[in-house]
Amino acid sequence: MVWDQVVDYLQDPATWSGPGSIPVLLWEHIWVSVVATIVAIALVLPLALWLGHTRKGADIAGVVVNIGRAIPSFGILVLTVMLLVQWGVSVLSVWPVLVALIALAAPPVFTNTIAGVQGVSAATVEAARGMGLKESQLVGRVEVPLASPVIVEGIRIAFVQVIATATLGALVAWGGLGRLIVDGFSVQNQGKVLVGAFLVALLAVIAEVGLSIAQRASTPRGLRPRPD
Amino acid sequence: MRRVFRNWAVGAVLALAVLATACGSGDSTEGEPITVGSFNFNESTIVAEIYAQALERAGYTVERSLNLGNREVVKPALETGEIDLVPEYVGTINSFLGGSPTSDSEATWNEAKTLFEDLGVTLLAFSPAQDKNAYVVTAETASANGLTTISDLAPVAANLRFGGPPECPEREFCLLGLQTVYGLEFAEFVPLDAAGPITVAALEGGDVDLALLFSSQGVIAEKGWVVLEDDMGLQAAENLVPAIRQAVVDEYGEELTNLLDEVSQLIAQDALIEMNKRADIDGDDPAVIAGDWLDDNGYPATE
Repeated sequence: MVWDQVVDYLQDPATWSGPGSIPVLLWEHIWVSVVATIVAIALVLPLALWLGHTRKGADIAGVVVNIGRAIPSFGILVLTVMLLVQWGVSVLSVWPVLVALIALAAPPVFTNTIAGVQGVSAATVEAARGMGLKESQLVGRVEVPLASPVIVEGIRIAFVQVIATATLGALVAWGGLGRLIVDGFSVQNQGKVLVGAFLVALLAVIAEVGLSIAQRASTPRGLRPRPD
Repeated sequence: MRRVFRNWAVGAVLALAVLATACGSGDSTEGEPITVGSFNFNESTIVAEIYAQALERAGYTVERSLNLGNREVVKPALETGEIDLVPEYVGTINSFLGGSPTSDSEATWNEAKTLFEDLGVTLLAFSPAQDKNAYVVTAETASANGLTTISDLAPVAANLRFGGPPECPEREFCLLGLQTVYGLEFAEFVPLDAAGPITVAALEGGDVDLALLFSSQGVIAEKGWVVLEDDMGLQAAENLVPAIRQAVVDEYGEELTNLLDEVSQLIAQDALIEMNKRADIDGDDPAVIAGDWLDDNGYPATE
């Protein structure tokens, strides 16, 4: 039964072209996820690097990620929609979705960056200072490369969460793959819901695998596990 | 020794907790509570609250499952007994059950009642109050395109964006009907919500040119919007009517159905619009609105 609905849905030409078609929704979903993650990184990375470098941020890091996880993305979404509509922004605007997703992506990037930079051994940092490196060179040439596996892991966690959560946008009349799930559910077309859910999961897995590879690639050769 | 006892005690408490929740999740018992449900828009919740509180004030035990969703969710819930009573609309439920609704309230109600019987659900007496789908444009759009009836949309539909609930494209009284009966093809259908705040904001902000709202909503008059006349009679009669499970009627009998029928008769069109306005525009709580209506119509709270 459900399988028939899946087949029907995939065979419908409207599924593949025009507004509300999979290519359009897929594109919306991807770019919103990418933009939200990049903006989140741009917003928190400098501060996190500084806090990590000055060894000040340990407590803040933990608190931020806990609060970040506790704040409901859907709540932020609805609040932002209401505020923006009051200020004359279109109710179909992508901004509420972006804001909610940026708020979701920021904590993991923030916390992992602090943890990564602080995890660089103090002896290494001291040695670098002893060699005459300036603070900025220290951060750029020593701490960031050594911390990069952990930092990239934070980005990976954030990006995958954002992909999964961008589906909420459909609940406030935005697009993205969540549209398939919400619209499919509203007419009990389980096939459509399944296709939507599958695509979101697929995207998340691709992001996970892709960034895992990036994580390994960004690990400086000296840190990589050596074949013995 | 003490640790053994403590572990045993913890285990016993946990087991009791699990048993308690299992017992709490309702099996058939004598005089079980009546569960009142509603669709995912304010008017449905208000009317559901009217029935629920009317029953409570008459001494029945009532549970609520409000704001459940659209008919695809509510109808199965009614059939399986997850809810016992929900305020329906004679035309749409008739159509949903595969009938042929018309603008004749009595005939439409009769056919729907017969069709529903096979599913173990019955319709009680219908109310004089109706709520039909309303196709609404702003005053500016109406004057710019000379729109007074839905047929007037034909020459300009290709340039217009139409917004409604996600299930609209499959509904006979919504986009499907506009396409088949009026022959309208819009530039785009935008899925919004069920005549809720998102639809209102979208029409107001110009994100859609035509929106589906409900004829009993106060926001239409408040914004000076124009309801296009249904000149080809797409919309059938849509009187409010309580849909209730036959098993519940059998259990409680005429005392219950007479009470509900009385209440239904008293719900007037104007009162419905006024109550909707309180919820949609003033932001009042549906339960409070319902309570006030009952107070004003001879069903005071018994306390």
